[in-house]
Amino acid sequence: MSPNYILKRIALIFYTLLVVSLIVFAITQILPADAAVMMLGENATDQALDALRQRMGLNDPVWMQYAHWLIGIVQGNFGTSLRTGQPVGPVMFEALGRSLLLALLSITFMLILAIPLGIIAAIRRGRVADMLVSLISYVGVSLPEFVTATVAVLLFADWLKWLPPTGYVPLTENFGSAIAHLTLPVFVISIILIAHVSRMVRSELIDVLHADYIRSARLKGLSGSSVLMGHALRNALLPTITIVALDVGYLLGGVIVVEEIFAIPGIGRQLIVAIQARDLPAIQAGVLIMAATYSIVNFLADMLYAALDKRIQYD
Amino acid sequence: MLKLNRRLFLAGTAAFVATPAMSFAQAAAPVKGGTLKVSIDQAASVIHPLLTRVNPEYLITELLYSNLTRLKVDMSAEPDLAESWNSNEALTEWTFKLRSGVKFHDDSAFTATDVVETFKAILNKDNASPARNNVGPIDTITAADPLTVIFKLSGAYADFPVALAYTTARIIPAAVATGDFKQLSTKANGTGPFKLVSYEPDRLIVVERNPNYYDPARPYLDRIEIQVFPDTSAEGSALIAGDIDLISTLQPTEYLRLDGSDGLDLLRVASGQFCNINFGCDTKPFNDVRVRKALALAVDRKAMVDFVTEGFGTPGNDTPINASYRFAAKLTQREANIAEAKKLLADAGYPNGFEATLVASDRPAVRTQLAVALKDMAKEIGVTINVQTMPHATYLEQVWKKGSFYVGFYNMQPTVDGIFKLLYTSDASWNETRWNNAAFDKLVNEARGTKDEAKRTALYADAQKLMNDEVPSIIPAFFDVLGAKRNWVQGYEIHPRASVFRLDYVSLTAEAPKRG
Amino acid sequence: MTEFLKRLLRTPQGAIGVAIVGLVLLVVIIGPWVAPHDPESLAPLQRYKGSSLTYLLGTDQYGRDIFSRLLIGARATVIMAMLATLAGTVVGALIGTTSAFLGGRADEAIMRTIDAVMSIPSLLFALLVVNLLGSSIVNALVAVAVAFAPGMARITRSVALSVRKQDYINAAIARGESARFVIVREMLPNVIAPIIVEMTIRVSFAVMLFATLSFLGLGAQPPAAEWGLMVSEARRYMHLSAGILIWPSIAIALVAIGFNLLGDGLRDALNPRA
Repeated sequence: MSPNYILKRIALIFYTLLVVSLIVFAITQILPADAAVMMLGENATDQALDALRQRMGLNDPVWMQYAHWLIGIVQGNFGTSLRTGQPVGPVMFEALGRSLLLALLSITFMLILAIPLGIIAAIRRGRVADMLVSLISYVGVSLPEFVTATVAVLLFADWLKWLPPTGYVPLTENFGSAIAHLTLPVFVISIILIAHVSRMVRSELIDVLHADYIRSARLKGLSGSSVLMGHALRNALLPTITIVALDVGYLLGGVIVVEEIFAIPGIGRQLIVAIQARDLPAIQAGVLIMAATYSIVNFLADMLYAALDKRIQYD
Repeated sequence: MLKLNRRLFLAGTAAFVATPAMSFAQAAAPVKGGTLKVSIDQAASVIHPLLTRVNPEYLITELLYSNLTRLKVDMSAEPDLAESWNSNEALTEWTFKLRSGVKFHDDSAFTATDVVETFKAILNKDNASPARNNVGPIDTITAADPLTVIFKLSGAYADFPVALAYTTARIIPAAVATGDFKQLSTKANGTGPFKLVSYEPDRLIVVERNPNYYDPARPYLDRIEIQVFPDTSAEGSALIAGDIDLISTLQPTEYLRLDGSDGLDLLRVASGQFCNINFGCDTKPFNDVRVRKALALAVDRKAMVDFVTEGFGTPGNDTPINASYRFAAKLTQREANIAEAKKLLADAGYPNGFEATLVASDRPAVRTQLAVALKDMAKEIGVTINVQTMPHATYLEQVWKKGSFYVGFYNMQPTVDGIFKLLYTSDASWNETRWNNAAFDKLVNEARGTKDEAKRTALYADAQKLMNDEVPSIIPAFFDVLGAKRNWVQGYEIHPRASVFRLDYVSLTAEAPKRG
Repeated sequence: MTEFLKRLLRTPQGAIGVAIVGLVLLVVIIGPWVAPHDPESLAPLQRYKGSSLTYLLGTDQYGRDIFSRLLIGARATVIMAMLATLAGTVVGALIGTTSAFLGGRADEAIMRTIDAVMSIPSLLFALLVVNLLGSSIVNALVAVAVAFAPGMARITRSVALSVRKQDYINAAIARGESARFVIVREMLPNVIAPIIVEMTIRVSFAVMLFATLSFLGLGAQPPAAEWGLMVSEARRYMHLSAGILIWPSIAIALVAIGFNLLGDGLRDALNPRA
């Protein structure tokens, strides 16, 4: 992995952000909403609206508004919410923190379940266990989150009363309660991921088990299980890193619905609120921060992959 | 006589509401201390006391600030920062005596200057306060001495003390009113029973007891945590689980679900809150009163009460006034009459009906339910309605007050005058129907300046009759205001206004969970 | 062709997938004719009924027959999902094959831009597009198509690249054929098989994406019998009658599973390596 490659990847992140900033700025420009009306409310007079538009630079040419916005972001200023009058940046980053916690827990939970499931399915290929794992994963990927979330709350919170139904408690406030509140959302988000990744692990493992070097290892007289552990698993799990990183995109989309239902004030819910209220600066900042998160996670995953897999040459 | 009637009515609703457990609990004297967790169903985006717009926001500013007067559950005004008041015979000049020794949260003293400057700020168009149109026809306001203010009105107004209890007429410090007006968007400085501890618009708002509150007995609670629940079903689950103690606004479907759960009290009071179908009375085909009436005659009101309120409501009669209001007139209840409706449509030149798009915003969900139900009922008279839903923000921006066929949703106002001047007179704050009926305007203006109860009753009766005849909007059903609480919460009375909560009267019993 | 069908039906995924998708398409075609009740007429006295002979799957919050609504809503739900996927694929395939054909810097620039667009989660992208256009089922279709296009472009490109290396493309270029001819006549047909597999699987995503948009109030308009809208409306009434929520959820899941299985079956049948 040459420094050149790393530099190129970092440059790509910036290119990505530039493209996303253009897209989101264009969308917020065309959205049917008048920022001044949003801020002053329905009772504002025309003079008051005009004065505000002037002050906010809404009468400037579009490219100038875009430039001002970009310069602001470079200086760490994402603008002010039209809805609450608070700076958007800190609110979004705090929300992102909560979403990342949710995502991290979901990925961990998913890996703990998905990898063994995938391995079992691959080893017992074509048998009942394999079928069962397949069935679980087909059902898993076929239910929208708002359905699974609804059913999960009904089952675990309302009927069995094992877990708190919704709400968010910061980790620093009460650790036990925080984890209890996060359990159901993590479970719901994980379902689709488990289905996806266990299938991935299964097919990678099957491919690897058929590969030549495993056959030769077997021929050398290595026992079945040590072959599996030593060679096959390592090579089968490597691509999962990339898959999981790509799934972060799904995760960030999926949290939108899950956060809405479970009242978790993460970035997904902030975005929904912003979109519903036509809070343009908040939409811009939220989308940009989500895209940045996705790009950085994928960059880190590539680095990790390269570090673990000596066979691949990056240049 | 009228007063007696009203009391009887309220006594009736109270008996309806009270469960045995509740009346037992209320017998105990309130104990000080404890943390109450309250849920609200949408974000409190605005906490500027003069700029709030929705019930959850009113709940918060009511805790942090005081008005001159306060709205009791029977919709009459009681003293708040004003200790007493009187008016001249013509009802055009009102004098308010203020409470002495009151302090803002920052320890500065409250005086008549704060009141004067607050109202100047409310009336200043540039501040765009919704209170401007709702506090009455104030012409001038002066401080006679540090504890006396005099309001001179441009017209006689009998309901003035009640109007001052309006949800956005909270008193703010003069320094804020004349200086950096916007600063109260992110912090708070009022004279209310609680002080702001933290404010996260989309998650959690925390307030704590104001030790300097003017009434040494209240508030009983040490702390209130207000949690935002975007999903109503999740809100109900949280109450069942004991995560929250009180749901401030409950949907009928959730009421049915929670009813019968252990440890919960369900609260219900009849109200003048309603959903309506607004016509642009200046736009074809709705500029023809026969068309409006035909649609009104297509509505099966009993079925409508079922569909939109799950039975937690009463049929409407196309005026915003129902039995919950003083001065409600006895009009014949309009029933569905398809033959008559078809005849009216034919007379208006639409023998084969017409097609129209009815807009319903997605919040609250009953708007869509009403639209879907009307679509089906209008089929019977040959009118094809296409329902179009949209996010609430888009609706406010593009349709509200501008459209000519859409679903509205409004809280009960404290007075008949309040609701007429909010929506239906030609100088109304939100004259969304553009009905612009001079006779109606005249009746309402005359009534607001009339002291004699009998005369006033007659004037309001005429106004309601006129409205029922001309149907500027179809009002098919009124909602009961619903709430739910854990039974360890006592002293909470659900308010028919739906935007008044009076949580400073609430306390917790010994059964309440102890929260750090 | 029959050979291929045999291979498809031999795998369990393929067989079950064909059965489910076939059933769903049958409902799409004949649903409106066999529905026993009017899907939109309200019945105040028949609300929240359980399953019975008159109402096979019970009635909803307006007293409408859920079974009839499912039968009729199949069109709005399934056809829309298929159309959206198709539209997204066509756009994506054009971008992808063009990029692969151009190669070099142009390819690099196009693909980096596609990557950049893909860093916006597809649900969020769809949300933004619907908000831009206004909520309606057609706009939701556009949104889903737009959200799918970058992913499809990426897939088509990688397939097209492997095809490009084949001799007959080089031969066509050597013959001096125009770029358009090479892309449309030579490259596209050879990338179609893997794309069909991907499309089939994506239809199930589209069904779910549509449902989620409806859940957020941005898809089909009431009183349409679109399944996602049915579920999202039912959430408020689920404590009064669970069937309102359960039946359309099952219908959505069934369609999604069906297309997923069919896609996997097709993949195995087209690529008999494993």
